[in-house]
Amino acid sequence: MTDIEGKIISIVAKETRRGSEEISLDLKVEDIESLDLVQIIFAIEDEFQIYVPQDDEGFKLETLRDVVEGVQSLIAQKQASA
Amino acid sequence: MHRVAITGLGCISAVGHTAPEHWEALKNGRSGIQEVTLVPPEQLNARVAAEVKNYDPADHFETKRLSLLDRFTQFSLVAAREAIADAGLDFSAGLGAETAVLLATGIGGITTLDNSFARLYGEGHPRVHPLTVPKLMVSAAASHITMEFGITGPSFAVSSACSSANHAIGEGMWMIRTGRARAAVVGGAETCVTLGTLKGWESLRVMATDTCRPFSRGRRGMVIGEGAGLFVLERMDDARARGATIYAELAGYGLTADAGDIVFPSEEGAAGALAMALQDGGLAPEDVDYINAHGTGTTANDVTETRAIRRVFGERADRLMVSSTKSMHGHGLGAAGALELVPTIMAIRDGVVPPTANFVEADPECDLDVVPNQARDVPVRAALSDSFAFGGLNAVIAVRSAD
Repeated sequence: MTDIEGKIISIVAKETRRGSEEISLDLKVEDIESLDLVQIIFAIEDEFQIYVPQDDEGFKLETLRDVVEGVQSLIAQKQASA
Repeated sequence: MHRVAITGLGCISAVGHTAPEHWEALKNGRSGIQEVTLVPPEQLNARVAAEVKNYDPADHFETKRLSLLDRFTQFSLVAAREAIADAGLDFSAGLGAETAVLLATGIGGITTLDNSFARLYGEGHPRVHPLTVPKLMVSAAASHITMEFGITGPSFAVSSACSSANHAIGEGMWMIRTGRARAAVVGGAETCVTLGTLKGWESLRVMATDTCRPFSRGRRGMVIGEGAGLFVLERMDDARARGATIYAELAGYGLTADAGDIVFPSEEGAAGALAMALQDGGLAPEDVDYINAHGTGTTANDVTETRAIRRVFGERADRLMVSSTKSMHGHGLGAAGALELVPTIMAIRDGVVPPTANFVEADPECDLDVVPNQARDVPVRAALSDSFAFGGLNAVIAVRSAD
């Protein structure tokens, strides 16, 4: 498990009030309650100092695995532009 | 019980500084949504808002008095002056004591609070302006209206998020119905285009980054609008006796609470308020020609509202015109019902139904006649104006032709 993956899983676990061991990367984003989801996005943005785009058609997040990959690419973009 | 006449309109919004200007823009499908100017757009991800433009406080208030008036109170006074002058009421000969002021706002003097906190926490100043508290309180606008016009009857602020204005208008109607007040100045004001507020909305991820497209496929959310709408209500008998211009009869008011979710709307709660407004106004579904929708442009609201309308109106829903003028004046939050009652009344008065602007393509889940992009010349006998707030507090106003 990468560091980014671990941090995201622990954020999702905390916001959905579950144990980290219960959070699978196959978790569907649409199955997360929406108020939990906006708080997860906020926590991820805060943790990694990135902006998760809202209306970007190319940024489709279906599972938590997509979220981890999306965050990795946002961090890479940020580092490239820094 | 007394019937209630609407005899004065006042409005300031992103599309006009008076009620006639507001209506003229809305019936022509002219949107006031643009990139924000009141806060630095580069600090935002959702950078559009429906701001009141070309507004100079000095055109309306003396410098000395302005130190007491938050932007939401200024707008309230500007619209109250217009509505009261329009009605031609004089409060000096005893009417002031029999008149109510019910002024709605979702959040009150947030510009004052935001500036004050920026100074205190951001810039590290040890003190804030001594008039901070009387400026920011949510009831400040109601108080200033009573003071400017010598109105001494029952007066207070009303707050229920996006339903605030409809609650104020409806409660004012009840005061006149029951005889507690002979006339009422009612409406709502909101001016929350501040960095702190917009960042809060942005984080909820319900804000459109392009524009507001209610009921349309491709809609991305809501756009904040600012402004104020004020109305003079009085006993129908009084209005007729003095030969006042009666815009419409304020006929009904329905209100419910979802007791559900703090942000998600419920079909049951919305339908309950719609049905109650019809019943309270003595209206059958067939009597209604137009609904000015809550129509925020969020995925959740527009689908839920469509279902609620279908549930209450049955087959009549296919004959109704349902438009959201938020596509033009933005979501006025605590002022929403007031910014929307102007076009609802004027649709009856002029026989013109304002469009839903920025409409791209039909969404099968919002399968009502939403009057896309083009106003329609058609007689309107009675109309509803919907407000379904965050927190599930719903309020629907029914108006009908007074002719």
